[in-house]
Amino acid sequence: MLEGVLISISTDILPNVVNPKAAASAQMMQSIIQGIRQLLPVYDQYLAEEHNQMMGVLRDVAGAIGDTSGAAADRIRERAATLGQGDEVPIPIGRDVLMAAHRELGFALQESMIDLDELQRAGDSAADAGLETIREHVGPRIMRDVQTFLVGDALLGRG
Amino acid sequence: MESQLLELLREYFPEADHIEVTGFEPIPGGYSRETYRFDAVVKSSMGEEHHPLILRKDPPPAVSILQTSRAIEHDLIEALRMHTNIPISRSLGHEMNAERFGEPAMVIQRMHGNSQTSDLFHDGPDVHHADDVMRHLCEVLVELHTADVSRIDPHGRLADPRDEGIDATTWDTYMDTTIDYYVRSFPTINYDPSVMTVLDLFLTLRRDKPRPLPLVLVHGDFNPANFLYEGGRVTALIDWENARIGDPREDLGWMTTMDILSNTNVMAHPIDEGGFLAYYNKLTGFDITQDEVDYFTLFGTANIAVPVQAAIKRRIDGESTEFMHLYLAQSAGGTVPNLLRLLNYPGVPQ
Repeated sequence: MLEGVLISISTDILPNVVNPKAAASAQMMQSIIQGIRQLLPVYDQYLAEEHNQMMGVLRDVAGAIGDTSGAAADRIRERAATLGQGDEVPIPIGRDVLMAAHRELGFALQESMIDLDELQRAGDSAADAGLETIREHVGPRIMRDVQTFLVGDALLGRG
Repeated sequence: MESQLLELLREYFPEADHIEVTGFEPIPGGYSRETYRFDAVVKSSMGEEHHPLILRKDPPPAVSILQTSRAIEHDLIEALRMHTNIPISRSLGHEMNAERFGEPAMVIQRMHGNSQTSDLFHDGPDVHHADDVMRHLCEVLVELHTADVSRIDPHGRLADPRDEGIDATTWDTYMDTTIDYYVRSFPTINYDPSVMTVLDLFLTLRRDKPRPLPLVLVHGDFNPANFLYEGGRVTALIDWENARIGDPREDLGWMTTMDILSNTNVMAHPIDEGGFLAYYNKLTGFDITQDEVDYFTLFGTANIAVPVQAAIKRRIDGESTEFMHLYLAQSAGGTVPNLLRLLNYPGVPQ
């Protein structure tokens, strides 16, 4: 979707922008959006890796100063003994792997809906409960997605 | 494009000695056709005439949301002008040869009136006209739904304008073949597992059909952005490309959906008649229930969802680079809570 925004800025907007400052702003927007595109897929993984690495750095810094005395050195050893000793967080699996697994299960729910419909049309009332189970899962999830993603009260560009 | 337009206008105004096109500019908005406003200044031995006009052109096929015919739309508009009192633009003609404008196009009269219908709602400047405009809009819709189809569509081209195997011989065949079309189209719109709610919608429509009503000519995109008004009257019902033979409740259901998406409140007016549905029932005697409107809200949503979601999928699959289709993926989300509510999803506020 962000790629689509970049293409639209290049093809729909920039050719029609006559003000050089506005053109520069549009190019800056493209730069930021491209940066976000590159960051998003790895951001959670980097966050977890860096969290765990920083714990090690705190411990290593304390090790490096050895038996140095003084209040500053004591504060460094204190950090290593507290924040540096916390639990490491699990590193998320790659986004591509996660998305593929998620999609596979989602499409399996779709296939189950089709099978339940076949049973319902044959008069099997137990299939109604099966469909209700899927709806109980999907409803709140879709509502959450919509509330997260939706912007504004009305379609833009209409009367 | 303007020189090609001049050639076409010479065909429409053969008596003209000289024609000028002035003020040619694209009209923003419009989700399916490319539209341009202009004035044609026509000089002849009879004097000088100014014609406010619109060039309505198909987008390239990969970008197009609805694959519809400008020739059919032209013939429909002219038939409605001839046989009804529905306020509608004149269509001067159509050009199906893509060589002239790149894609098929038509030229229609530009009607007067305010197209910013959001002015009628909330704190808009024309809220005091809302009841009168919606009363007239309802009367216009009733005139459409009671029009003699055999005169408006003598060749039956509106029975299946998308050429999807719709059989409008009876209400049952119409419903069954239309829902079959929805279900059959699902692979073309299934770009993400979350589209399963649309699949659920299609399958539920097939299981829970309501009582039949006579098939009529429906507008097919009856929504708050598709009429103009002035004072307390509708001056034009516009955008007829999705018109077809269908169930009259489809237009009521689609307006309900689009009221939500547009943040308008057409269905609440005219208030003194108890709202749009109550007034419609009073005029037609159809006694349509809210449950039936709810069903056709889902049915109408499905009818538009198929081409819209297919366009989104084509964009996601890289078959086009049309940005608006990505925006539709976001903005269409506004209709989802109501869709889930009407399908009685647990955990969704009723």
